[in-house]
Amino acid sequence: MLHDQTIQALTQRFGDRFSQHPAHCATHAHGEANPAAHQPDAVVFAHATEEVAALLNHCHTHHIPVTAFGAGTSLEGHVTPVQGGISLDLSQMNQILAVNDADLDVRVQAGVTRRQLNSTLRDHGLFFPVDPGADSTIGGMCATRASGTNAVRYGTMRENVLGLRAVLADGTIVDTGGRVRKSSTGYDLTRLLIGSEGTLGIITEIQLRLFGIPEATGAAICQFAGVAAAVSSVIEIIQSGIPVARIEFVDAAQMAASIAYSKLIGLQALPTLLFEFHGSAASVAEQAQQAEAITTEHGGAAFAFATAAEDRNRLWQARHDAFWAARASRPGYAVFTTDTIVPISRLAEAIAQADAAVARSGLDACVVGHVGDGNFHVMILFPDTPEAAARAWALDREIVAQALDLGGASSGEHGVGLGKREFLQREHGAPALAMMRAIKTALDPRGILNPGKILLDPLVSDC
Amino acid sequence: MIAPDSEAGFACAIAAATAAKSALNLTGYGSKAGFLRPVVAGETLSTRAFRGVSLYAPKELVLSARSGTPLAELEATLAASGQHLIAEPPRYGFLGGAAATQSFGGVIACNLSGPRRIAWGAMRDHVLGVRAITGRGEIMRSGGRVLKNVTGLDLAKLLTGSYGTLALLTEITVKVLPIPEETGTLVLHDLTPARAVAALSAALGSPFSVTGAAYLPERAAAAVGYDRPVALIRIEDVAASVAYRLRALSTQLSRYAASTLLDRAGSLAIWQAVRDATPLAEAMPVQGGLEEAMIWRVSVAPSRGPDILGVAQALGLDGYLDWGGGLLMLAGPASHAAASALTEAVTAVGGGWWLLRAPEALRTSLACVPEEPPALAAIRGRLQTAFDPAGIFSPGKLHAA
Ligand SMILES: Cc1cc2nc3c(=O)[nH]c(=O)nc-3n(C[C@H](O)[C@H](O)[C@H](O)COP(=O)(O)OP(=O)(O)OC[C@H]3O[C@@H](n4cnc5c(N)ncnc54)[C@H](O)[C@@H]3O)c2cc1C
Repeated sequence: MLHDQTIQALTQRFGDRFSQHPAHCATHAHGEANPAAHQPDAVVFAHATEEVAALLNHCHTHHIPVTAFGAGTSLEGHVTPVQGGISLDLSQMNQILAVNDADLDVRVQAGVTRRQLNSTLRDHGLFFPVDPGADSTIGGMCATRASGTNAVRYGTMRENVLGLRAVLADGTIVDTGGRVRKSSTGYDLTRLLIGSEGTLGIITEIQLRLFGIPEATGAAICQFAGVAAAVSSVIEIIQSGIPVARIEFVDAAQMAASIAYSKLIGLQALPTLLFEFHGSAASVAEQAQQAEAITTEHGGAAFAFATAAEDRNRLWQARHDAFWAARASRPGYAVFTTDTIVPISRLAEAIAQADAAVARSGLDACVVGHVGDGNFHVMILFPDTPEAAARAWALDREIVAQALDLGGASSGEHGVGLGKREFLQREHGAPALAMMRAIKTALDPRGILNPGKILLDPLVSDC
Repeated sequence: MIAPDSEAGFACAIAAATAAKSALNLTGYGSKAGFLRPVVAGETLSTRAFRGVSLYAPKELVLSARSGTPLAELEATLAASGQHLIAEPPRYGFLGGAAATQSFGGVIACNLSGPRRIAWGAMRDHVLGVRAITGRGEIMRSGGRVLKNVTGLDLAKLLTGSYGTLALLTEITVKVLPIPEETGTLVLHDLTPARAVAALSAALGSPFSVTGAAYLPERAAAAVGYDRPVALIRIEDVAASVAYRLRALSTQLSRYAASTLLDRAGSLAIWQAVRDATPLAEAMPVQGGLEEAMIWRVSVAPSRGPDILGVAQALGLDGYLDWGGGLLMLAGPASHAAASALTEAVTAVGGGWWLLRAPEALRTSLACVPEEPPALAAIRGRLQTAFDPAGIFSPGKLHAA
């Protein structure tokens, strides 16, 4: 519950961009695929860094929780304001402030989405490579340390952010990193904020590193009799240094769903690898030939290479639509996505173990993976009932435990939010968690920023 | 000097120092003792007895090594499997040439990266996980050996580049890559700094995946055998593709300058010189030798590189540009006035710097890295207290107490 003085102060400052409307509170109660919704007391739509600073200053003084909200596409309950308070919506801070062709960078406000950014950059012959499956905001992608299908070649948000403007819990505005290539000369606060899920500061502006659109792009697809052969091909391709831009794995069940949903022709419901190569026309063809030689050695069949934009786009659109294809394959079912990552040498084993766990659970699932780095998603399909949801949840826990046993992590890209907190102790050990807590306390002593996320705090209840 | 050979040994020494509130200078072999400010500490804690590669999985492109492992030893291990450290860490000639042993931990603690950084990221970008001892004497691990993770705050990246002021790194896991089959370099001749940086930017913005972009003005060029300034553009990949891309670039850049090509051997040699800053010692002799010199590593937006080079030259310094114009390696006679004028100019364009060598009087009286705005300084202080409550780790290294 907000006090009258807060309602008055924020109404005065934000006008109708301070909203307690039930519809606004409802849409800011949860992200994508989150069962444990909890509504904020109010939503604030910010337009400027100074406004964010004023809001945080007020909330810090009055101990009011603030949870940042970008596009709300996160999958682990990140945006759910579990203690109420303010949901701070940054989606209207959507200006692209400066494209610097010469320095290959761009400055954006936090609410710019990745599609919006790339459609502007296209005219400059440039692109920003990090491409999570949803049209998320750049601020949200920083906060979750997002990655996409071409992380093997271009890295994740961690490697592609040059600097940030952020507002700390008490309303102080700080600039970290900067325009320069080399990151900060002090501690790397940029990397500390990236992946902090809105718990250390609110990101309002971001300087991103850009790349030239490759002269040529080629796509290829190849099908295998079994998962192990596909994974062995990936390992050999990466190890041989072929600079593949993207390698994605799709299992037989997902292929069946995608063939139906995306109307793919000439493909079978078999374990499949999708490739994209960037470079000059000559090098793209050469990379494809090398990849083909390796996949053939591992029993891959029907290696098909395409350079025409239309053919490439159809293939990759199908990969991007995998989530929706999986969902459409079981009308009325809900989808829950796991996100484990394992050392790539254990990947085939990890997928086999996950498949076995799925079979034991009696649920259905499709598997897709950013196999170049060992990260894969089991999209668990389950009837939309509490009992089935509980089984899906238990299955996710089991798959995480398997990954941790193989030396992996509970999440490769979606993050901790509410859903993965319980695994952090095992993954990092108590001393590292104590340090994370000490850092949280150092930057947000009153614990107003996205309380209840990342760290399981015994003193504060979740809901 | 204390040089334990186990994590338990480090933890014990650190816990004792914290209890006694007595400072420790964290070090490997001391090759970078001259970087930044002199540390004020009664005792030195060295990682030199804690060495060795603890995990190397060439198929996974992952290597873990203890922090005292000499860089050369680690690189030899990788080379035997045809792999290398992606960020190409420098062995600065002014550290004492081949004789200076650098520890893996030191390279990570200083986040040192070479020319390839513009294409493949900094040393820090390849750190997957670390083990470290906090000021409380606790053994902490963060991250792991998977290629990315998003589970919690990124402590490994925070410790990378913290110059031994937050925790003692004991083991680091990094991503590695295969050594490219071929390398070649396009040399553009006789450009002014501004035209050279424009050409380097055009090369970096091209679709040809340039992995090195440097500019050597006259004196630095002389040190590598050219009598006029040269701009260098490196390509690394499979052989056919390197040749093709160098040809295409030379056509595209012909509007800037005439160019020649360096083959594999020439390319390897010249980029080693750029990486190791050897042109500084050879081209900028200072009376009294390097002992009397000051050496700067300055970082600005690439488009500002030429102006700052001009400022430095007017102040009696000289050097060269790497990272497409964004990194300046500069040397000259030590002088307080020149140092202040240089840092003022860099501050004015929003850049940063590291003073890598200077006589002690300068190191104690200058800002060896930029002063932080009060808000950032406050965060630094709070982070330091979180990791090192008694303030025993390398006090004074980054900023005066
Ligand atoms: C179909 C689908 C596919 C997906 N595929 C991928 C994928 O391939 N890779 C991947 O990494 N993720 C993926 N995701 C997850 C999600 O898209 C990412 O986590 C994304 O980065 C979230 O961005 P957002 O703008 O929606 O952030 P939100 O969901 O709005 O917020 C996420 C977190 O960031 C915080 N936050 C948001 N903005 C700010 C800010 N400006 N300052 C501080 N904190 C902030 C929030 O408080 C919250 O904790 C997918 C999601 C869906 C639904």
